[in-house]
Amino acid sequence: MKKKLFLYSFFIFSLSPFFINAKENIPFQSTYNPQKSSSVLIQQGRLLTATEEDSFIGDILISNNVIVEIGKSINPPLGTKVIDARGKWVTPGIIDIHSHMGVYPAPSLNSSSDGNESTSPTTAHVWAEHSVWTQDPQMPLALKGGITTYHVLPGSANLIGGRGITLKNVWSRTVQGMKFPNAPYTLKMACGENPKRVYGGRRMEPSTRMGNVAGYRKAWIKAESYLSRQQQYESKSEQAKQMGYKPTRDLEMETLAGVLKGEILIQNHCYRGEEMAVMLDLAKEFDYKVTTFHHAIEAYKVADILAENNVCAAIWADWWGFKHEAFDMVWENAAIIHNANGEKGCAIIHSDDAVGIQRLNQEAAKAMAAGNRVGLNISEGDAIKWITLNAAKGLGIDKWTGSLEKGKMADVVIWDGNPFSVYTKTEKVFIDGILKYSSEDISLPKPTDFELGIINPEENRL
Amino acid sequence: MKNTFFISNLFLLIFSLNLFAEDFLIKNAKIFTGTDQGLIKNSDIHIKDGRVQEIKKEIDISNIKVIDLNGKLITSGFISPLSQLGLVEIGLESRTRNDSSDVYSAGFSVASSFNPKSTLIPYNLTGGITLSLSSPSSGGLFSGLSSAFYLSGKLKNSLLKKDIALIASIRSGEGSKAASFLLLEDFLTYAQDRNAEKDLSIIPLSQEDGNISIRDLRAIKRVVDKEIPLVVRVDKSSDILTILDLAKRKDIELIIAGASEGWMVANELADSGVPVILTPIDNIPSSFDSLGSRLDNASMLHKAGVKLIISSHETHNAYLSRQGAGIAVSYGLPWEEAIKALTINISESFNLDKLGAIKPGYKADLVVWDGDPLEVTSFVERVFISGKEVPVENRSMRLRDRYLEN
Repeated sequence: MKKKLFLYSFFIFSLSPFFINAKENIPFQSTYNPQKSSSVLIQQGRLLTATEEDSFIGDILISNNVIVEIGKSINPPLGTKVIDARGKWVTPGIIDIHSHMGVYPAPSLNSSSDGNESTSPTTAHVWAEHSVWTQDPQMPLALKGGITTYHVLPGSANLIGGRGITLKNVWSRTVQGMKFPNAPYTLKMACGENPKRVYGGRRMEPSTRMGNVAGYRKAWIKAESYLSRQQQYESKSEQAKQMGYKPTRDLEMETLAGVLKGEILIQNHCYRGEEMAVMLDLAKEFDYKVTTFHHAIEAYKVADILAENNVCAAIWADWWGFKHEAFDMVWENAAIIHNANGEKGCAIIHSDDAVGIQRLNQEAAKAMAAGNRVGLNISEGDAIKWITLNAAKGLGIDKWTGSLEKGKMADVVIWDGNPFSVYTKTEKVFIDGILKYSSEDISLPKPTDFELGIINPEENRL
Repeated sequence: MKNTFFISNLFLLIFSLNLFAEDFLIKNAKIFTGTDQGLIKNSDIHIKDGRVQEIKKEIDISNIKVIDLNGKLITSGFISPLSQLGLVEIGLESRTRNDSSDVYSAGFSVASSFNPKSTLIPYNLTGGITLSLSSPSSGGLFSGLSSAFYLSGKLKNSLLKKDIALIASIRSGEGSKAASFLLLEDFLTYAQDRNAEKDLSIIPLSQEDGNISIRDLRAIKRVVDKEIPLVVRVDKSSDILTILDLAKRKDIELIIAGASEGWMVANELADSGVPVILTPIDNIPSSFDSLGSRLDNASMLHKAGVKLIISSHETHNAYLSRQGAGIAVSYGLPWEEAIKALTINISESFNLDKLGAIKPGYKADLVVWDGDPLEVTSFVERVFISGKEVPVENRSMRLRDRYLEN
């Protein structure tokens, strides 16, 4: 008993401030709490920090779950494990701002396709985290591709699809054990073809793009009045509160009010340029902020408007043509977004796909090369941001991860060469300083429950 | 009368030859031949009448157009082995699709609906594809017949060869895979029966989506007669063994597409001599039939001796077969084999004569690259189809230019 108590107190002391939840009394809190990591010095790798323009040869010291120091040459403290990274490249952990892992897991089965609550056009009350199957075999594949953090969204059948959730790419029995501590909640909205196809097909509203916009406005009008009722009640004296009725909780309105209060970040699926401009006006009408447009195929047409409004655009490098709103793709989209208004733009490369998430580095490479071919001068330092720091910004977690900076979470990838090459693979992936993948250790990544004995009873899947 | 007809025809022939025939030299090229010669540096190619005439260290011909590549790499144009190029414009808009039929099954030939002016054609040409084996995608056991088209964008002469393969799929679902195998075997049996064509009612079975027509039966007969190969989409290791056995018993030419679990039966595949169409980028165990999906499938199959064909998993970006090939290389497939899997292995497997390699007598379908074609940062610089240069330009580039000007 005493021993247990001792262990417990030791645990408390070892907690890095990252892993303490800032707020109490909120449901489904993160329980992610990595063990204290030992000291590791990654020596003489080529560092792409996502803050500096150019890569440089240097050392990075990680300890106690965080990046302790970065420099040209660091003397390893006693007991530090040294990794020789000569000839290797070192980047921040890759972040995918648009994933459906866990909610659309593999194998694709009706019984676990839980990404779209397509029973009503506005379902702000549903939360993607409540659909996540933690044993999705796509997750360790993404880890091998360098993904340390990913954002799981509801699908795009609905105008307002529900809350998204930011997860650390760690094996856990519970989704709470994967939740990125203190990451803000997000809300999925969708423009264009999908909602109008799903509901128009059922002869109900919305069946047009104007029906879509009317649907968003109706929802925000309700949310405004809900919020003002809540605020009126909260501003009353304790005595007056006891005299009157407390407004009833409404799950849908709580989420929308969270957006109006600036606590929940809008992630808006929106392909076309003119629709993005309409959504920005809508945000002004109801005084909220769009954080990121997703699948923004036509962002290059409105790149200056996005930059003025400080909105990120998350895109694929080259997907196109699967529907009409995806017809006007250009390879240079990311580069044009990046360069808008004197490099004020925020470009993000996302996957939306379990194949693509395994190589966001290659997707960024394609977009960088396309930009450079037309003279847009995109450096490797710029392109790495598209899959790290900018994605972290788009999720509101950039103060904790997304770049190699002193004091940040030790989410670090060592590559066996230049990450902007089709031939390059990850060699080691650290999440919060803990080695989660190593090309030299066949026990990593830890296989999911699904993969045990699924092909041959005595083996793991691969 | 007969004479004038002959003379006018002769004129036409000469006229068209003049239009077609370009005689020129490509100098200082790094040539990936796709033959036993492999990669040869600092060499010249003489192209005449749409074909490669000669390859040598130094070719000198006076008064000939010369294109100096300054050491750049030239390969055969890449071939898209299994996509809907020219048959689809916008995936979700059925009115822009011409790749399926609910009237015909095996006999559904897409040759007449190929659109050389599709935006996907110049787009994939700028990605390095010069020839597409465009295939129908109807559901059911048989999708229909694929045909080979050049991506020259020309209204005439785009068709290289009509109805070159019959496409089929073995899928899990409401009907069992077992029923699909039985159905396939029965069709192959009845197509051999001379009387069947006279009286279709003697065939005691029907396809899911309707009865079999004479057109369908004739397409299957071409497989039985070994005129064309049968392409079967199948992923599971045990299903691969079943289809190999069926092809052997029925003595037909088989090509397997998919083969996610091919590595588990690599030796059996190699022994059969059956080529395999892979999409090496896809390692997701997306169904219980592909639980064994893995990125080194291509490399393991090659080591066992299987002839590989590499495909993209998607029509609009059919050219991304290059990226898949690059990934296969990073997991152990030799680079030369990866390029062959995008060129000569395809033309050989689909019986397209004298095409897919840079070799005297072969079609001059050529691509000049600014780097390694398998590298995601490389681009196409110049393209030649049947010895004629075609512009490297697409609609996406026009859109880009419009918005770059602002």
